[in-house]
Amino acid sequence: MKNLFKKRLGAHLTELMKYLRLVFNDYFVLALVFMIGGLGYYYSNALKGLTTGLWWAPLLIIGVLLISVQTGRLATLIEAPDYVFLLPKEAALINYLRRAFWYSTILASLIQVLFWIVLMPFVQRTVAATTAQLFALLATVIFLKIAWLNADFARKYHLSQKWLGNRWLFRLVVPVIILAVCLYGNYFLGAGLAAIVMLGGLAVQHTWQKRSVDWQILIADENSRMHSIYQFFNLFTDVPSLSGAVRRRRYLDWLFHGIKLLPANTYLYLYAHGIVRDNEMSGLYARLTVIGTLLLVFVKGTFLPIVLSLLFIYLIGFQMIPFYFHYDDNAFVHIYPVTTDFQMKNFQRVLLLMMGTVAVIFAITVTIVNLTTPTTIIGVVLCELVELWGFIFMYVPKRIKKSEFVR
Amino acid sequence: MTLQVSNLVGGYSQVPVLKDVTFDVKDGELVGLIGLNGAGKSTTINHIIGLLTPFKGNVKINGVAINDDVKKYKEQIAYIPEQPIVYKELTLKEHLEMTMLAYNLDQQAAWKRADKLLKIFRLDNKLNWFPDNFSKGMRQKVMIVCAFLTNAKLFIIDEPFLGLDPLAVNDLLNLISERKKQGASILMSTHVLDTAQRYCDRFVLLHDGKVRTEGTLAQLQALFPEAGESLNDIYLTLAREGDAS
Repeated sequence: MKNLFKKRLGAHLTELMKYLRLVFNDYFVLALVFMIGGLGYYYSNALKGLTTGLWWAPLLIIGVLLISVQTGRLATLIEAPDYVFLLPKEAALINYLRRAFWYSTILASLIQVLFWIVLMPFVQRTVAATTAQLFALLATVIFLKIAWLNADFARKYHLSQKWLGNRWLFRLVVPVIILAVCLYGNYFLGAGLAAIVMLGGLAVQHTWQKRSVDWQILIADENSRMHSIYQFFNLFTDVPSLSGAVRRRRYLDWLFHGIKLLPANTYLYLYAHGIVRDNEMSGLYARLTVIGTLLLVFVKGTFLPIVLSLLFIYLIGFQMIPFYFHYDDNAFVHIYPVTTDFQMKNFQRVLLLMMGTVAVIFAITVTIVNLTTPTTIIGVVLCELVELWGFIFMYVPKRIKKSEFVR
Repeated sequence: MTLQVSNLVGGYSQVPVLKDVTFDVKDGELVGLIGLNGAGKSTTINHIIGLLTPFKGNVKINGVAINDDVKKYKEQIAYIPEQPIVYKELTLKEHLEMTMLAYNLDQQAAWKRADKLLKIFRLDNKLNWFPDNFSKGMRQKVMIVCAFLTNAKLFIIDEPFLGLDPLAVNDLLNLISERKKQGASILMSTHVLDTAQRYCDRFVLLHDGKVRTEGTLAQLQALFPEAGESLNDIYLTLAREGDAS
C-alpha cells in the first residue's frame, strides 16, 4: 500500500508539473514579478505608517492566520475505481492514507511558513512580538493545521466518535479560540494548547484501522479537491478532465436568433451556444467583467484606467482561447460536411462580439468616472480598438496554431 | 452460512430505503436478488460491500460483521459493479496486477488463471490497452475477469448481463457454476428473469425496500399458485399487487 501511494504521488506530481509549466509561462511570470514587487512596495510603505497598540491589528492577524490554516487540503489521491479494486485491502488502507496525511502535512506546513513570513513584519510592528513569540505563533499555526488535516482524515472513516471529523470544530472554532489565546493572552500557552489538540488527534489515528472506510466521502472529497485544482489550471489552459456543468439559460436565447443556419456558420452556432451555456466559460466571463467594471468605477487617474481596461480585456480574451478546441473530441464536427476554414473565422467573430461588449462597457464606465479628463476617454477608446484588433486577428490565430501543434 | 443480512435498515441519507431486510446466502449457493428499479437492490449491495453503514441491523459474512474485523470481512468479497469502473491511466494488464496485489494472490497461479479467463472473454490480445477506452461490454468483461481472478468466498454481482454478448453471458454463467461447486456463494441482482430462473438456486424478491418473498422457484410457485409458472409471471403479479396495495 505504501508503494501504491508512492506510485500515485509520482503520477500526480508529473501531472501537476505538466500544468504548472503552462501556468507559469513567460507572460504570466513577468506579470507576477511586477505584481509581487508592487505589492511588496505598497506593503513596506504601509508598514511605516503603523504603530503598536492598534485595536484592529490582532484581529487582522487572527483573520489572516485563519485563512492560512484553511489552505492546503488532505490529498489522498484516491480514485473512484478504488472502492472496487481495493475492497479487500481496506484494513491496510490506513497505511496508504497515513502516507497521504504526512505528505499533505508537509505541503500545508510550507504554506503556513509562507503566510507567516509575509505576516511577520506586520506582527512585529503592530504587536511588538519577540522572536521567540513569533516562532511560537508559527508553531501554533502548524499544529492547528495538522489538527485540521487530522479531522479531515477522521472524516473518511465510519467512526463512533463522529466529532473527531467535525470540520466546523477543527477548521474554525478551535483555531479561533487558540489564536485568540495567542494574541490576547500568551503565545506559548496558545502553542501548548494547539500541541495538545494535535497530539490528541494523532494519538487516536491508529485506532481507526479497525473501522471501515467511508468510500463515498473519500472519493467525493478527493474529486472536489482535484476539481478545484483543475479549475485553477483551467484559467490558463484547456483541462480535458474538467467537464463543466451546463445550464439552459433560456433567457439568453435571443442571442442566437441572428445566426443564419448556413454551413459557414456551423462553428459560430456551436461556439455561441457552448460559451453561453457552459458554466465554466460564461461564469468566467461574467466574473471578470463585473470585477473589471467595479475596479474601473473606483479607480481614477490619467493612465491607470486605460491600463486596467486593457488588462481585463486581455484576461477575458485569453481565457476564451482554449474554447476553440472545445468540440474537437465530438465526433459530429468531424462527420459534418463542412470545411474547417470557417472555424477560425467563426471563433474570431464570437471573440469580437464578447470582447467588444466588454470593451464598450469598460469605455462607458471610464467615460462616466473620468468626465473631466478627455485624454483618458480618448485613450481608452483608441487603445481598446488597437487591442481588440491585435488580439483577435494577430495573436489568436498564431496562438491556436501553436497549441494545435502541441495537441 | 456465508452471507447473513439481518433486519437491515439503511439508505443514503437519513431516509431509509431499506426497511428491515433479512435474507441469507448459503455456501455454494447462487441467490438472485430481484426487484424493480428503485426497489433497493443496489442499496442492499452497497450495504453488503460496506459502502453504506446500516442504520439498524447488520450484515455478516461467515459470522464476521464489518465492525468486528474490517480486514477479515472485506477479504472474503469480490464485487462486480453494475457500471464497470476502471482506472483511466492503467492498462488491462495493470488492472489485473492491481487485483493480484489487493487480494494478495500468488503471482504465478494468478497469471495462469488470468490467461484462461482472458482467453474465455477474448481479451488476451488487449493486455496493453486501456480499458477506459473499451466499450461497456468489454469493460464489464474486465470487471468479471478481475473478480474471478480472486479466491473470494462471496461474489456480489450487480446486474451483470446488460451489455454483454450472448457468448459472454454463457461464459459468465459457467464461471459462476464452477465457483459454486468449489463452495463459493454468489449474490446476483438482475432484471433478466428467464436467465435467473434457469441458474439461481433461490430468489429474494425485493419490493419497496422490503423482502416481498423468498425461496426456490418451486416454493414460489407453491406460494402463489394462481400467478403462473415462470419467475417472470410470478414476479409481474407480485410487483403489480405491491403497487396496488
